[in-house]
Amino acid sequence: MFRYIIDRVIALFITLFIIVSIAFCVVRLMPGSVYDQDGDLSQTVIDTLNEKYHFDEPIIKQYGYFLKNVFLHGDWGTSMKMRPNVPVFEVMKDRIPVTLQINLISLFAAIPIGLAAGIVAAIKKNTIIDHFVSFMVVIFISVPSFVFATCLQYFVGYKAGAFPIIYDASATGMAALHSMFLPILALMFSPIARVARYLRAELAETMNSEFMLLAKTKGLTYAQSTIRHGLRNSMVPLANIIIPMFANVLGGSLVVENIFSVPGMGGMMVDSINASDHMLTVAILVFYSMISLITVLIVDISYGIIDPRVRMGGKK
Amino acid sequence: MVLYEDNKAKYDAVSKDLFRLVQRDEKIHDVEFKTKPIGFFMDVWLRFVKNKASVIAAVIILIISFFAVFGPGMNEYTYDEQHTELTNMPPKVPFIAKMNLGFFDGGYTMENRKYDNLNDPEKYPEGCILEVINPRLVNGERIVDVVVDYYKYKGLSDEQCFWFGSDYLGRDIWTRMWRGARVSLIIAVVSVCCNVFIGVVYGSISGYYGGKVDMVMMRITEIINAFPRIVVVTLFIMVFGTGMFSIIMSLVIKDWVSTARMVRSQFYRFKGREYVLAARTLGVKDMALIFRHILPNSIGPIITSSMIAIPTAIFSESFLAYIGLGLQAPEPSIGVMLSRGQKVLLQYPSQVVFPAIIISLLMISFNLFGNGLRDAFDPTLRGAE
Repeated sequence: MFRYIIDRVIALFITLFIIVSIAFCVVRLMPGSVYDQDGDLSQTVIDTLNEKYHFDEPIIKQYGYFLKNVFLHGDWGTSMKMRPNVPVFEVMKDRIPVTLQINLISLFAAIPIGLAAGIVAAIKKNTIIDHFVSFMVVIFISVPSFVFATCLQYFVGYKAGAFPIIYDASATGMAALHSMFLPILALMFSPIARVARYLRAELAETMNSEFMLLAKTKGLTYAQSTIRHGLRNSMVPLANIIIPMFANVLGGSLVVENIFSVPGMGGMMVDSINASDHMLTVAILVFYSMISLITVLIVDISYGIIDPRVRMGGKK
Repeated sequence: MVLYEDNKAKYDAVSKDLFRLVQRDEKIHDVEFKTKPIGFFMDVWLRFVKNKASVIAAVIILIISFFAVFGPGMNEYTYDEQHTELTNMPPKVPFIAKMNLGFFDGGYTMENRKYDNLNDPEKYPEGCILEVINPRLVNGERIVDVVVDYYKYKGLSDEQCFWFGSDYLGRDIWTRMWRGARVSLIIAVVSVCCNVFIGVVYGSISGYYGGKVDMVMMRITEIINAFPRIVVVTLFIMVFGTGMFSIIMSLVIKDWVSTARMVRSQFYRFKGREYVLAARTLGVKDMALIFRHILPNSIGPIITSSMIAIPTAIFSESFLAYIGLGLQAPEPSIGVMLSRGQKVLLQYPSQVVFPAIIISLLMISFNLFGNGLRDAFDPTLRGAE
């Protein structure tokens, strides 16, 4: 097991290195200058800046400086356009908590609802309740989150006036929760549907198996046998779909953040690209990659713990 | 000793009417095969049509495709024709407007108007007022909200109208929407075709040869898989610019991996079968073995997975449009229209409603259609992921 984890961690670093290299080269070789096109900077100023940030040197050397700064000092460079002279890390530090909050809350709220819907559908298989759940699952999975977000914004936010139509960054406590309710709700639909669909299929299959019959023969009640034997067995494969959902925890809310004007990571990536704020773009891309790679790592390791067969496969 | 009494005479005396022949009337079915043998695809088709939801989904896809092809040519506007004096017009369809149903009548609610001015033909041209609502007294002034036929209010003739309204530049939403649906469908279908092609070739080589080849090829897919989708797509579009080609390629570059893996696992399942061994013994070349003997077995999963990939591609395209990496203006796509309409959602909701309905319908239909196909190709998978 230890060997397996070490293997995966090494693979993670290699991949991350490749991504950093590609991202750095692509972003740096893009057309568009760091300086404003208006030309109100004198040539001397530009030269001085170039010298300070090493923009006048070959790209390979720049890459060397970049790697050195990142690994030795944890310094991702300085934002040039979005918030001039602020370290990239600082710029991101303000944005990350909002995105994390919205995504994590929506995910943690969605999973129990999805579980409940899946269990009900599986127990009441082929009844009107099951059909209703299946119908909602198809709708929730198919309709894009931004359509839901738009509907919620218009009907719940604007027509009913129940919740603020855009996110209020200055609110605190309950008011903050109140203002981020709609984005959270918009992000919940898809995880609910995924969990419900998967659990229904799994549980319905487990319910037909022979150990369930045995459990009932032993004298367990319907609820006892379902919860202790049926549900527990369905949970193992369910972990395989719930854990990867956390990989989307930073990327998935991009559009919804945009719609509700949430000052999160989503808007910043596009803004930094459009503003040619190269250092910031590289940092954001690497950041996204890192989160998703770490999630994949966690998924792999947890598979290994849940299902020993995977561990064996990793050793070969 | 007489063991058996000779009762023949006795039996002959019994009237024949008392006896009834059994089984004579019943038809014997399995004497010979009267029906034609059912082939694989016929079998699939029979199972598919049993699933009502997928059939309806298929019909909806066909209808949307029909409009995507012919819709933009159905009225006199083109997708990039601007009418600067007719921006943000509400939807109006003449014959529905005549029925007074309350929608598609060009109705637009103007709030806080003076009641006394309603009869002034200078301000409200003849017949433009549809409904007067919410009368109230503000500072002694009689104030009402007026629903007007915005086309008549602007002094247009009865014939001129935008069926689904117009956008912020006065472009016809009907034309743009169907053109956008066309663009979205083309992007989806082309990208899925590309990734099926690459995935099938890659997956079959990897699965057929196995061993070292397989290991190297699978490591490559693992590396590609490790790149987060959003990063790959963003980088790709940053390098190659926004446009149909780069959007399609950015979708292909990561999506073929899953097809390749699926095909590979199918190959692992079938390559050890006896019929493959028999074919190889007869001297069949590798290429023929791969494409004629083994690959057809995985045709079902391939079709199914590509059908399920289409809504993902449609979603990705509109997702890109939303974050500002979509097609360049004036070319419309559903995502571009949604993100533009989003900005004026509170004033002119109709600009979002139609594209949102179309994209939702398309996604739902393709998902249902894909599920139906999966059940039809492989009934044992029914209801599973």
